[in-house]
Amino acid sequence: MKDDKFTVSFTLNGKPCSVDLKGNERLIDVLRDSLDLKSVKEGCGAGDCGLCMVLVDDKPVHSCLMMAGQIRGKAVTTVEGIGDNRTLHPIQKAFLETGAVQCGYCNPAVILAAKSLLDSNPRPSRAEIRRALSPVLCRCGSYVRFEESVLVASGEKS
Amino acid sequence: MESVQIQQASKKDFDVVGKKVVRAGAVLAVLGKPSYTADIATGDLVYVKAVRSSCVHATIESIDTSRAKLLPGVLAILTSKDIPGVNDAGSILSDRPLLAEKVVRHYGEAVAIVVAETHQAAEEAAMLMDIAYTPLPSVTNPNDALKPDAPLVQERSNLVKHMKIRKGDVERGFSQSDLVVENTFKTEFVDGLPLETEAAYSYLEPSGRIACVCSMQNPFDVYGKVVKILGFEKAKLRMIQATTGGGFGPKSDETPIDVAAYACLATLKTGKPALAQFTRDEAMIIQCKRHPFIIKNRTGVTNDGRLLAWQSELIADTGAYVSKGHLVLGRAVFHCTGPYEVPNVKADGYCVLTNNTIAGSTRGFGSPQVHFAAEVQMDLIAERLEMDPVVFRAKNILRPGTRTLTNQRIEDPGLDMCFRKAVALSDWYHKRKQYEQHNKGTSRLKKGIGIALLYHGNTLGPESGDFATVHIAITPDGKALVETGLTDFGTGGMTSLLMVAAEVLGLPYEDVRMSRPDTGRVSDSGPTVASRVTVIGGRATFEAAEIIKNRLSRVAAERLACSESSLIFRAGNVYSNDKPERRITFRDLVVEAADRNVELKSVGYYLAPTTNWDEETGQGSPYNQYTFGAVVADVEVDTETGFIRVGQLTPVYDAGKVINPLGLLAVCEGGSIMGTGYGIMEKIVTSEGVIMNPNLHTYWIPTILDCPEIINSSTVESAGQIGIFGAKSIGEIPIVLPAAAIANAISWATGVKIREIPMTPDKILAAIMNVK
Ligand code: FES
Ligand code: FES
Repeated sequence: MKDDKFTVSFTLNGKPCSVDLKGNERLIDVLRDSLDLKSVKEGCGAGDCGLCMVLVDDKPVHSCLMMAGQIRGKAVTTVEGIGDNRTLHPIQKAFLETGAVQCGYCNPAVILAAKSLLDSNPRPSRAEIRRALSPVLCRCGSYVRFEESVLVASGEKS
Repeated sequence: MESVQIQQASKKDFDVVGKKVVRAGAVLAVLGKPSYTADIATGDLVYVKAVRSSCVHATIESIDTSRAKLLPGVLAILTSKDIPGVNDAGSILSDRPLLAEKVVRHYGEAVAIVVAETHQAAEEAAMLMDIAYTPLPSVTNPNDALKPDAPLVQERSNLVKHMKIRKGDVERGFSQSDLVVENTFKTEFVDGLPLETEAAYSYLEPSGRIACVCSMQNPFDVYGKVVKILGFEKAKLRMIQATTGGGFGPKSDETPIDVAAYACLATLKTGKPALAQFTRDEAMIIQCKRHPFIIKNRTGVTNDGRLLAWQSELIADTGAYVSKGHLVLGRAVFHCTGPYEVPNVKADGYCVLTNNTIAGSTRGFGSPQVHFAAEVQMDLIAERLEMDPVVFRAKNILRPGTRTLTNQRIEDPGLDMCFRKAVALSDWYHKRKQYEQHNKGTSRLKKGIGIALLYHGNTLGPESGDFATVHIAITPDGKALVETGLTDFGTGGMTSLLMVAAEVLGLPYEDVRMSRPDTGRVSDSGPTVASRVTVIGGRATFEAAEIIKNRLSRVAAERLACSESSLIFRAGNVYSNDKPERRITFRDLVVEAADRNVELKSVGYYLAPTTNWDEETGQGSPYNQYTFGAVVADVEVDTETGFIRVGQLTPVYDAGKVINPLGLLAVCEGGSIMGTGYGIMEKIVTSEGVIMNPNLHTYWIPTILDCPEIINSSTVESAGQIGIFGAKSIGEIPIVLPAAAIANAISWATGVKIREIPMTPDKILAAIMNVK
């Protein structure tokens, strides 16, 4: 049945995008499965781990808790949209320099949370950094490295 | 081996080792590139879901698949009868079936698997399975399980292993003591909880071989088991480690075997690529936990603070299947006095089966539990002696010339170095005074500072089979490819191996690459456990690189008309030390060697010396070398809410020669945070064997807000006997001490006695009320 589908248009990593939906899809599934954006990870599916973080209109959102239909007309950003091999985003560069990557599984979510923070607050304090990154779990415990990375990316530290 | 050691000793200046480098695979990680198992699963996938027991201990009367089969999209349902090979998913002992046959022995044990076209269909079908059980009597308390009339968990005694230490005469030691202190300590089940859950993706290759990509620590262990489960000959399966989103022990244990077998069975049955991945609750119910221990420590000391006798009784609950429980118990018993010299020691450790969740390998492997009990015991004794805990420890630590509880002589000054540095860096004496003043002036927020020390026997030691194999191939572009079955899952170990290869071959770090561990390409490299990649794998890498370097040296000596011994390999060039103008680039040398048909592939092998100890007395040298460490914790206790804030941790480790400093820093900080969670937050709650909190909103692990405000991490260098260039193990170790250091700080600040972890606010509050 074709007619039980509807189309949703939005901006994905700076480019226009539309997908056909049945209506009950979670944003995370559409991003990973239909749009092949594998940087978005599922760690719990319940809003607890933050690994599914994406930016919707520049704000961090748990994509396991958002229905895909809700993104009509909005701008979605994933890590695939902020840097590539030749031009890393400053926060990605800082991750490499400070040794923030351990298993790497949480990194895309942390990088997006950090980007969103730096875009709205270019010189955050340590307390502000911790608050902004608190929704994302890192079992490897790279938290101090993340804090350093944000300070490096903000120019506060080198 | 001797020649290698001489070369190790003569190496003083390093070009790559000890420098800051970008971790292997880090660029992929920050770009979010698909490299984890579920990211790379493609094609016309089928999905596998296990059907799990709702009972703790029961016989399976019948399995009715009729309702589940009718669900659209369901392709196959497999039970134990459908396993073509051997129904065995136990990692060391063959005590655990992949799918239960007649009996289930713990909550969540797999009884069947469903293969379906979609994930949803597989999940729904699993719920439509009608399985009839008759409950059996169960036992979930390890003390009860040891009673003669206890229900048997398996068809064997519930006592899996009794480990002993007998050193000196402990009764005489007690009778000569001025003070004897006895305490019982308790720790809980916790979950290592790698954030990527267990996952495996399998597909049929055109040759008919099945390839399986899996999130795991030990590709060869998983391969060996799955081949037997499938009833395959060896060449028909290949196991590849995908980038792995955390290991922490569970991924070296039995659950990776489960998912790999599920996926491969589905591929075998349907001919299609298959994905099997645990949901979070499934992972938290099934993956092996850290063993809960009950530890009784009885210690005798003289009035001037010398330890004379130490008696420990340790009971470890290993759950319904043994997994690595007997080995965890071994490491626990071998470290149960903490890093102190005690002339008379008696220890008895018991590894016990119950109908609880399975406990197995988890970062630290028995060491966190016993160090918690020993280090809190030390503070409780110091308090009775009215002695500063630092002063008391200083009288007893393992220094050169002292002997451990197994009577192994220590020549290494590492512990003393860590201890002094931690006391100095944390400003111990000044803080003690300052906080004492502060606490007099406040009734609510009390400040405390506490210390704990450790030693940690390196690599497998008594767990045996301490070898590694590493392959190196030089590619025509003059770069090196390092291949091994050893793995990285966030530890940085693989980066260390690349650094060792670059160092020996005189290549820039960027010119050395690794390939994904693949049982189809490399030979068995031993397991990636016991923090042994850098230490043992580094030696095998060195060996492999030396072989190639020697072959290239012959060509270079001829070409440059100089002696082989005068050649220097450095920064991508090879030149004669006597006449540096005689030089050739590494790349040109490789081209020339290839023209002369010189083999530019090598295999390096290293086997650590076998360790010896007596089964009856535990006396001997169970480990080849020890890592030492000291941690100081600064905490603030809210005496009205019981809430603990860990302001600062000062961890100092003797990791021997540091190969990969950035990796070491991340591991030290990360372990400190995980250890803080172990101390004050984490507990798997069970009720009659059923796990009550298999999710991240009721089982809390540290977020960045729970992370200590400052982690002032540092190292000292006291070279190890066997590790590459003198390196020692570090990966697991930073998780060990925070719990004890925090407990000691809380006790000192508030006067409460802590003998159990986690120190959650409710427990702290209740203890404070008691003191009042
Ligand atoms: S997957 Fe854990 S919060 Fe979305
Ligand atoms: S780096 Fe492993 S979970 Fe964050």
